[in-house]
Amino acid sequence: MAAPYWLTKCGRPRNKNYVKMRSLLPAVAEQLFRDIRKIYEETTQIPDDLLIALKFVFGSCALQALDLVDQRSVTCLSSPSGRKVFQVIGGSGRLYTCFLSCHYCPCPAFTYTVLRRNQGLLCKHILAVYLCQAMALTQQESVSDQQMSTMLSGTGAP
Amino acid sequence: MTDILTLVFRTFSSQTSQKQDPSVGPSPPSLRCTTLVVGEHRLSRSVLLLAAVTAASELGIRVSFFAQTRIQSLPVCLQRCSATLNPEGLKKIAFSYPRTLEELLQQVASLHESPSPPSLIIVDGLDGFLRDPVAGSHAGFHSGEESCAAHLSALLCDTAAFLTEVLEQRGSSSAPCRIIASFLLNVDSESRDSSATDPILVVLDRYFQARCTLDQDRSYEAAAAAAQEVWHIYLSGTKSPEDCEDGPALAQEWKLFTFPDGLMEFKLV
Repeated sequence: MAAPYWLTKCGRPRNKNYVKMRSLLPAVAEQLFRDIRKIYEETTQIPDDLLIALKFVFGSCALQALDLVDQRSVTCLSSPSGRKVFQVIGGSGRLYTCFLSCHYCPCPAFTYTVLRRNQGLLCKHILAVYLCQAMALTQQESVSDQQMSTMLSGTGAP
Repeated sequence: MTDILTLVFRTFSSQTSQKQDPSVGPSPPSLRCTTLVVGEHRLSRSVLLLAAVTAASELGIRVSFFAQTRIQSLPVCLQRCSATLNPEGLKKIAFSYPRTLEELLQQVASLHESPSPPSLIIVDGLDGFLRDPVAGSHAGFHSGEESCAAHLSALLCDTAAFLTEVLEQRGSSSAPCRIIASFLLNVDSESRDSSATDPILVVLDRYFQARCTLDQDRSYEAAAAAAQEVWHIYLSGTKSPEDCEDGPALAQEWKLFTFPDGLMEFKLV
């Protein structure tokens, strides 16, 4: 079975600003991302077996996350202090701020599925961050320290 | 962060042997940098203040202490020790009094801008901030106490992780950056069954690696010890993913005796 078209559209990654994220996932998920990273570096594609594994581990949000990856929706913002944070453009165009070292997303799916019902590891936004990091498709952007503080606190305008 | 709490308990222990016994010593600083103190607010605030003063004066590290209500006075046992405490060390504690969750988030979020970052971040009374009627109304997408709890906890953890990197890059012996926060359970007044889970506590447990539970002793031990109150202190936690050592998760029990004159004494069980 050929890989879905949106995967073959992804270009060869040239982003060298890889941010190492702390291990917060089960070992099987960590290994899956390592495998994706390795194979994507070599072939710029994710084979079907890894796609199936992705869906098996993360459920329905896997495909939604891959859509976000394809749309280059993940940006790593950094400020002069060295502080970094991820920002994801959701399907509706809203911006979601996610942290580097632990799982948090302000989206309703994270609150409901992950926090309240404990039925998922991640939401699609956090998964998209992991995938973009593995595939080196994270955009990079610089902001001021004050802008960074506003984004981290979530108290700026949405 | 249990290393600082254990240091507090040893420092204010009545037993000389516990002050000197290396097996009672702090756990390696790489373990469990985030600790949640769960218990009655008056006592947990005193424990947090002891931690702040001990960390600043004994370890010489910078402390950021956040609380909704002003600290009117130090615990009596600290006042009695004031002659021996390092006044320069005490200057390393910065007290902040954010009134709302939004203000707390802003102040924690801006710690990365500080030229002298703290090595210990203390938040007294998470429950007060998170159960604030306007907690869910600040600008942002999320609403609800659980999401607010997750955001604050994740921000604290992420801030600590960043500040740890900064301290390590500077070659500072103050690394890692630790977090201690206190939380009062919303226990049903008719049932003191704390196993009925507080949904906010369930969320907080996702982010805090260790828990320090304060549980009042209801037996006659206080009278027997001529103490006003006796409290059980349980330190528990899971191993962090970065731990390289094998062995069981954290499990330690102390007792706290409080006396009518305000003195506090800790004893390892």
